[in-house]
Amino acid sequence: MARSTPTYTPIRNYAIGFFLSIFLLFCDINYGSFSQVRVISKAATLYIQMISIGVLENIVNTYSSFQETKNLLEENKELKDQILQIKTKDFIEKTDTAEKIKIINLYKGLVGRFESNNIHLYKIASIDLRNYFCCSTHKIFLQNPQKILIKENLQVLAGESFIGQTTTSYLNLIEVILFSDTDHVLPIKSNSFYCDARGKGKPLMISCTLNKNIDVFENEVGDPVYTSGLGGIFMKDIEVGLISGINTISIDEIEVIILLKADPLQESFYGIINQRNDEI
Amino acid sequence: MGLSTSGMMKFRNHLIILVTIVSGFWLDNTLNPLTSRLFIELNFGFLIFSYWIFALPEKLQSFAALVYGFVIDLFFSNVIGFNMLFFVGTSYIIHLYVFRFRIFSYFQLSIFFSGSSVFYIACKYLLLSPLNYSYILLIVSFLINAVLWIGVYLIMRAFRRRIL
Repeated sequence: MARSTPTYTPIRNYAIGFFLSIFLLFCDINYGSFSQVRVISKAATLYIQMISIGVLENIVNTYSSFQETKNLLEENKELKDQILQIKTKDFIEKTDTAEKIKIINLYKGLVGRFESNNIHLYKIASIDLRNYFCCSTHKIFLQNPQKILIKENLQVLAGESFIGQTTTSYLNLIEVILFSDTDHVLPIKSNSFYCDARGKGKPLMISCTLNKNIDVFENEVGDPVYTSGLGGIFMKDIEVGLISGINTISIDEIEVIILLKADPLQESFYGIINQRNDEI
Repeated sequence: MGLSTSGMMKFRNHLIILVTIVSGFWLDNTLNPLTSRLFIELNFGFLIFSYWIFALPEKLQSFAALVYGFVIDLFFSNVIGFNMLFFVGTSYIIHLYVFRFRIFSYFQLSIFFSGSSVFYIACKYLLLSPLNYSYILLIVSFLINAVLWIGVYLIMRAFRRRIL
């Protein structure tokens, strides 16, 4: 920028300023004439300083608080993750322990019941639920990772009773037909009758037809039903279910409905006895 | 450019100059309690004021110096009139020799402005606090302010070219 030549500064203005300043200085030093003004200005300055410091501190505190909150949130998240990990580990350990205990108990029960060590346990691979709930085919598949040779028509246990028999095995799966499958026939007995119970195609239901009049039928609903062992596959005298209904078909013909004891949906492990009834 | 061609300055520019001078005195007030143990009295405020008069002599004259001095007295001084007196006096001296100063080297300028600054400090002590008057303080402050002047000059010049 081109500068203009400095204008002439008359000494008069400076002299006035000079003497005015001296006068004010003299008055203030000797008589304290402007002490009030100074006090007010100092107070105002201090007030502004205090406000500024307060605002600054608030900003710093807010920032620190945000930072602290952020740190706490991060710590909280880490702790939550750790808790989740511990919970998951704990759950896995518990499940593992429970399954081990279950297997041990099942072994004990089966060994005690059948006095045979020739039982293999298999974990369920899948159950054909769609057919199980709607249709006549009721089958489950068991895992056979060791690919143990499994014969057909072996007894399959679950819980405290039989649930069906093996039909075939392929790859590392064992197919088991359940009692409730319409193609399955199970020889059963009660205290007053023997019959071949056929699956009804409904979960846990089998039925058999007897040539008896209902009036002379001695059993009642709730009576236990056992395997008769006549088919040569299942051991006799094992309770498989309870009579849940007695229907009249004709004058001398009745249908006995049996509700099975072992529910395949409630079990995870199944035992297969590697010997048939007639071999025991 | 905030400067008008008529030689008068806008109020905004006066405000900016005043803010820089106030900042200098605020810096002095903040730092001097720490440096006084080393016999150093910093005088940023006075040097900044001197720079503005030196840089814009035709824009800042007696009245501006008087008003700036009054404001500084109000906020930073223990007596009213002290800074007014020195600002008016310094302004007059600079106005008288401004063209000579223009051909001075940095060294000569720093000697002059540091000397003015030490004179200001000496008068302040003599007038307001004679018991603390110290030649060592004046000598050390002279050297320090001479160095400071170079920094003040360069920084304020850059600031003036950018802002005003």
